[in-house]
Amino acid sequence: MRHIRNFSIIAHVDHGKSTLADRLIQLCGGLEAREMQDQVLDSMELERERGITIKAQSVTLYYTARDGERYQLNMIDTPGHVDFSYEVSRSLAACDGALLVVDASQGVEAQSVANCYTAIEQGLEVVPVINKIDLPSADPERVIREIEEIIGIEAKDAVRVSAKTGENVPELLETLIRRIPPPKGDPDAPLQALIIDSWFDNYVGVVSLVRVVNGSLKVGDKIRVMSTGRTYNVDRLGRFTPKSVAERELATGDVGFVIAGIKEIDGAPVGDTITHERRPCESPLPGFKQIKPRVFAGLFPVNSEDYESFRDALAKLRLNDSALHYEPEVSGALGFGFRCGFLGLLHMDIVQERLEREYHLDLVTSAPTVVYEVVRTDGSVAYVDNPAKLPPQNEIEEIREPIIIANILVPPDHVGAVLKLCNEKRGVQKKMQYLGTQVSLQYELPLAEVVLDFFDRLKSVSRGFASFDYEFSHFQKAPLVKLDVLINGDRVDALSIIVHRENAYQRGRELVDKMQELIPRQMFEVAVQAAIGSQIIARATVKPLRKNVLAKCYGGDVTRKRKLLEKQKEGKKRMKQLGQVEIPQEAFLAVLQVGRKS
Amino acid sequence: MPLADVPLSLYVHFPWCVRKCPYCDFNSYTLRDELPEERYVAALEADLELQAREVAGREVISIFMGGGTPSLFSPEAIARVLAAARRHLRLADDVEVTLEANPGTIERGRFAEYRAAGVNRVSLGAQSFDAARLEALGRIHSPRETVRAAEELHAAGLTNFNLDLMYGLPGQDLPGALRDIEQALALEPAHVSHYQLTIEPGTVFAGVRPSLPTDEEIADMLPPVQERLAAAGFAQYEVSAYARPTRRCRHNLNYWTFGDYLGIGAGAHGKLTSAASGTIVRTSRIREPRRYLSSSAEPPVRREVQPAELPFEFAMNALRLTEGFSMGLFSRRTGLGAAAIEPTLSVLETRGLVARDGDRWYPTVVGLRFLNDALIEFLPDTPESAGKLRLSSAP
Repeated sequence: MRHIRNFSIIAHVDHGKSTLADRLIQLCGGLEAREMQDQVLDSMELERERGITIKAQSVTLYYTARDGERYQLNMIDTPGHVDFSYEVSRSLAACDGALLVVDASQGVEAQSVANCYTAIEQGLEVVPVINKIDLPSADPERVIREIEEIIGIEAKDAVRVSAKTGENVPELLETLIRRIPPPKGDPDAPLQALIIDSWFDNYVGVVSLVRVVNGSLKVGDKIRVMSTGRTYNVDRLGRFTPKSVAERELATGDVGFVIAGIKEIDGAPVGDTITHERRPCESPLPGFKQIKPRVFAGLFPVNSEDYESFRDALAKLRLNDSALHYEPEVSGALGFGFRCGFLGLLHMDIVQERLEREYHLDLVTSAPTVVYEVVRTDGSVAYVDNPAKLPPQNEIEEIREPIIIANILVPPDHVGAVLKLCNEKRGVQKKMQYLGTQVSLQYELPLAEVVLDFFDRLKSVSRGFASFDYEFSHFQKAPLVKLDVLINGDRVDALSIIVHRENAYQRGRELVDKMQELIPRQMFEVAVQAAIGSQIIARATVKPLRKNVLAKCYGGDVTRKRKLLEKQKEGKKRMKQLGQVEIPQEAFLAVLQVGRKS
Repeated sequence: MPLADVPLSLYVHFPWCVRKCPYCDFNSYTLRDELPEERYVAALEADLELQAREVAGREVISIFMGGGTPSLFSPEAIARVLAAARRHLRLADDVEVTLEANPGTIERGRFAEYRAAGVNRVSLGAQSFDAARLEALGRIHSPRETVRAAEELHAAGLTNFNLDLMYGLPGQDLPGALRDIEQALALEPAHVSHYQLTIEPGTVFAGVRPSLPTDEEIADMLPPVQERLAAAGFAQYEVSAYARPTRRCRHNLNYWTFGDYLGIGAGAHGKLTSAASGTIVRTSRIREPRRYLSSSAEPPVRREVQPAELPFEFAMNALRLTEGFSMGLFSRRTGLGAAAIEPTLSVLETRGLVARDGDRWYPTVVGLRFLNDALIEFLPDTPESAGKLRLSSAP
């Protein structure tokens, strides 16, 4: 146990985490050079393209240090985006230390700060690392000051490396062994293993990555997953080097994988504790939470024949993504589909993209919404994840919206713009601190406003310099109303949104204008109206097309005329028919494009 | 259902113009050297002789000489072409023989000579009577020349003539469009073709887009124009065609009722039904005139129209007619039963684009304006057939 080091790398997107991980694996001989593929840790194609890690993975490396001893280094990867903060916290809980990697020219970003605080709160030893020192714009001294001022940890001795060139990476390994403590834990105590991550494998079922905190785990053991109480037999144990290597046992302090014939991803939830059936531990490890989706949207196949394959695709994605929720939804406008719940907008994007890319589905998405807590006049409380399902106004006592705590880091030059944005988004300032070259802001913000376009707006008003992290805080009463959209007098359920009363008129105006832009001219006039209850608050008109006919048609070549008509037909296919009106798919997301003054 | 005897027409294409108009997407070419009249007529004769074998014994109800500018060809040349037609084909006693003419190419006495050659109907490309509009359209003729050509037609006894007019022209307003109609009516034509100027791909205007009136302005020109034409005794019978009683163009009507036609000349297309084999074949000739000259004695490119394509091809023509078509005509022309087209028609009926009267289906007033929206419903679901079509019709 003395020779084990369990650690994570905390870094902002693009600060070089994956490159550094690759370099460490290479230095420790984890993979032959010819097997070395850049950034092995980010295995999914999508993750590579977006430059983020979606699911945690781990690698066990063996390193012979300058003191002549051989160490086992368990590097536990963490997801790198605000939507996955719970998964990050569980990955960190499995570690005894963390490398805080900061880009030598870009400096500290909010996401690293938040993760770093999580690490410090959990008692991890944080080792600062300055990366990309090979860049001409590198300014390690400034970044060191930032780390000290913003995060508040000693950084004078920060290791300065270039993961790209490999410069100083051996020194980093030595520092890691010296600074990060070996795991503590009682080998003789009853088994307590923390589930860091679980994923579904087509051949063996659920594979769980665990950290053995106390006791030990052997092949053939009968284990119990504490939150569900269900028991399983351990079929296989092992670790990734990064190739998977079978083991007979995982001892105290070890990190490795367990395969125990678990058939559903919910059978081994992240953050849960595994113990022995025969000699169970008294209580589970702290910090376990059932994660709840916060953002919901209706997804509908463009072609109704795709409904069944859509259902199958969701079931397959769900095997590996316990945060994805879905249930059937029927929309008057869009037909049969599924109401899907996501951790956040990024999560939603990823799922949607995978459905389209890996399962070749053509989908229409209704505007994403958060979950509202609705108190009825009879005192009962309902959670509404679909504006169309909001009870009638006269049955509502109050509506409470989810509030988040947002931590924002921004250079002083852009503070004004960010404050203005937070204000516009109904934010309440909780803290503002000038920390050297950065300003740290803490705001309470309605999640609904963040879901809309906050992240994009923040980036644009700060010219990309502001960074942002959030966590759910509480539900709070607000004067919210349902804004409906009527097309030629018919309410379109998939276009309803819940908005703050003060913004309702402006949103309604912008929404109908945007729809007017997106709906092509048709044979008849199309009236687009925004309404609160029975009151129309905005209206726009799509002027009718006056004619659509070929002026001349004689005995000549029919091919070209036919091609022209086939093009018109293809265009129509991509639209959804609402009564007589044809609405392009983008119009259903128009709500995402309003509320921004570009 | 068997294909019944289908009326037959003859189309003869003359590909050259003094100058190609910037809006024109027909197979026409600016004449740069001397007109190869003798060689082209000889090529037409060879083409006609070869293709006539396909229709041996069938009566020809109409001949249309279009272009390009057929009136660039001398009355002698036209006489030779018509003589060849008489030699190789069985022409109906009352065969309609139309010649397209550009007012800018007509010398005094010429129409009488065309008439003597066998022409009994003329289509005159007037387009507009406003000199500024004509210039914007790149036309070579003046309003004065159109008036003179019409006078010549009357003098020659060719009173069965059509005037082509365009509307929605650059700089045109409603009074301007109505003035054009007045001046056209003053020339006492038997038929008026009134087209909206549309910008077609591959034309000069598609590259350098002229500034046109708005869609609304253009659409608003039509009802007063139609009213004026109706008051003068010209009834609309097709999207762009208006005629005095009994003066409808028989040749074009044969296209719109899905009749057969031989296509002779550069880039000419034909459509032939074989009642015996139950097939419909489209033929096409090489577009480029010089290459046509050396290949007109070889068989044209042939492509069989698949049954799945027939409802669309039939509707594309027949629904252009204000009176539409009877289910009987559909079956006689396509060999298909009503089930092949009626479900689509019923859907369009609920959308108000077509209506029925007994067994006759016809486009509504709205349907005539939005014919494309109706026609796409007849397209087969896979555009595969269109691919085949492209493949073999391109020479």
